[in-house]
Amino acid sequence: MTQTSDLDRVSMIVLRYMRRPLFALLLVYSVGIVGMALMPGKVVDGETTRMDLFHAFYFFTYTATTTGFGELPNGFSDEQRLWTIFCLYTGVFAWFYAIGSLIGLVQNPHFIQAMDGVRFAQKVERNKDPFVILCGFGDTGSLLARGLSDHRMRAVILDADPERIKALGVRDYTVAMPGIRADAGAPKHLMSAGVKHPACRALVALTNDDDVNLKIAVMARHLNPRLRVICRSTSARHEANLRALDNVTVVDPFEIFAQLVYWAIARPELHNLNAWFVGSRGVELGVPVQVPRGDWILCGYGRMGHWIQGCLQAHGVGVRIIDPDVNAREVGEGTVIVEAHADHAALLTAGIEDAAGVVAATNRDSDNLSTLLSVTELNPAAFRIVRHNSHENQVAFDAARADLVLQHSLTTARRILKLLISPLVQELIDWLAEREPALTNELVVRLQAAMGSEPPHLWSVRLFADEAPAVTEYLDAGGEVALGVLCRDADAFPEALSCEALAIRRAGASIMLPNKESPLQVDDEILFCSVHRVEPKLRATLHNPYTLRYVLTGVDESRGYLFAWLEGRLRWRRDDDDNGRRRRP
Amino acid sequence: MNFERVVFGFFIVLTLSLNVAFVAGGVETAEHHNVWILTFAIIVNLVAIGLKLGDRSQTGALLLASGLVAGLLLIAARVVWIVAEPAGGGGPGPGDMADIVSIASGALVANIIATAILVGDTLLSRR
Repeated sequence: MTQTSDLDRVSMIVLRYMRRPLFALLLVYSVGIVGMALMPGKVVDGETTRMDLFHAFYFFTYTATTTGFGELPNGFSDEQRLWTIFCLYTGVFAWFYAIGSLIGLVQNPHFIQAMDGVRFAQKVERNKDPFVILCGFGDTGSLLARGLSDHRMRAVILDADPERIKALGVRDYTVAMPGIRADAGAPKHLMSAGVKHPACRALVALTNDDDVNLKIAVMARHLNPRLRVICRSTSARHEANLRALDNVTVVDPFEIFAQLVYWAIARPELHNLNAWFVGSRGVELGVPVQVPRGDWILCGYGRMGHWIQGCLQAHGVGVRIIDPDVNAREVGEGTVIVEAHADHAALLTAGIEDAAGVVAATNRDSDNLSTLLSVTELNPAAFRIVRHNSHENQVAFDAARADLVLQHSLTTARRILKLLISPLVQELIDWLAEREPALTNELVVRLQAAMGSEPPHLWSVRLFADEAPAVTEYLDAGGEVALGVLCRDADAFPEALSCEALAIRRAGASIMLPNKESPLQVDDEILFCSVHRVEPKLRATLHNPYTLRYVLTGVDESRGYLFAWLEGRLRWRRDDDDNGRRRRP
Repeated sequence: MNFERVVFGFFIVLTLSLNVAFVAGGVETAEHHNVWILTFAIIVNLVAIGLKLGDRSQTGALLLASGLVAGLLLIAARVVWIVAEPAGGGGPGPGDMADIVSIASGALVANIIATAILVGDTLLSRR
């Protein structure tokens, strides 16, 4: 059996559909033309003229398509006119039949699907810009696509649900995001989505089914072992499987969520910095949420509840659990457990009066919202963290005024976006999480000094010939550029630009919070946090050798050969004079 | 203040001014156009080109390119003048004069572009 591509399938469908109408046209044309050539024409000089075959074809062409130029090239005889009537009716009907079949063809669902496939594959293949393959366009997928679009990164989207692909069609992304309804687990579809395309940067598996995600990750690893794969997974069995593959990053939405809850409770300064980096609404740098100390009540002990409880207990925060189906043996000794729905009575039993706060983390928004109401009534001072599941309930959660709302599709999308766009940011946050809070506070103070109250703009630059020609040239020539010097403002020498270098990636290793005096090397990747308008300025320094020299020395160097030569002469003479003076004591 | 910028700006603006001075007047009237002004414009323009040699920045490259265009057109205009001038002197005829002035107007466009780049670059760098 031979392999068939989508294109083969399209031509096959066209041929099969058009075979009969084409035969009908052929038959009608042959009969009409031959008949017309055989019909005796007018008698000229005692001889009967006949139409030759070329003119018969010409005549039939304009008659069958109902154009009707008249009797060309000469007037017709009665026999010819009779045959003309026959030609007209048969020809016109054959054409109607053919056109009708063609219209039927373009409405054929198989044909439309095959054409979509071909067009999609072509679009992906012709694309030159870097892109990401996104499998699954649900809540998280669409949030991620929006984030990618904000960073001008292209994505190719696969989803098995035709409704989601229709929804994709009405989004106003800043870059082209081709999408197709297809099962991403099939290698054929991954291929047409560009898994082997040289510009493909990563594949993100975000379908709701863990089995499918695992399948996508495995297929992608086989098809293109060098491609980075980011895979959502919520089950331990799949995770172990996935982590064994290299180049695969597993993202567990529950784990991320639990981590954020833990940071909010125990590391408010880090939570504040992280939220400020990702641009959460209403977050001000250096103003962390004020969380009371004490035991926490956790409502809902499903997969997310497990993670939250594990995370909090590992860091010494006491947890009381309210859940109707909780298994006491799973939880461990000494934990207060209330086997009930998180209503008035259950909250009272769990000791809401002396609890520091409540985490409403069930997978039902209505339950979480009703728990919030009860908590507000019973202990208004308690800190309320709530899990927001469905995007549709946004307005209700805004109105509930919980102290912290965490939407898990949003937190997952943000984490993946960070991994894709600026992996160094996530590395920095993780690095800070492992260290003393004082270090985070120090960074916050530095950022406040550099940025004022402006929102952060995180961007990274790699010191290679394309992105920073002036700097690489200078470094290659044996010069030395310190990080702090590079960040000087060329318009207000020697003031620094409002930017802060957060990390440097050098030869596979990362240097977090680098020193201002540390010298840079070719091929370093530097992560900057700056206000928006600083990026073009800093990029100008990286590109223009004269601006670079200026920020290094504070002296505008001569540009043309003539002035460079004159300056050289001048300096030489000055040096000469200095030496001469020194020689005379 | 940077001395090199003063000198270069002087020559760029002077080329533009001389070019305007030459082009101004009736297109076909030889009496309205002075061949000395044209010659000076060429010389000043060549000096401006020479000053820009060796600049490695993007704006430097663009200034050099527009300077070369202006120089080429001005020299072409001067050559036409030499060829068209009758043996007894008295300036070229109306047809030839129209050619010379239109070529010089082309050079004027290149000079305007060069001046615009120079001014824009200086305003943007603000130092």
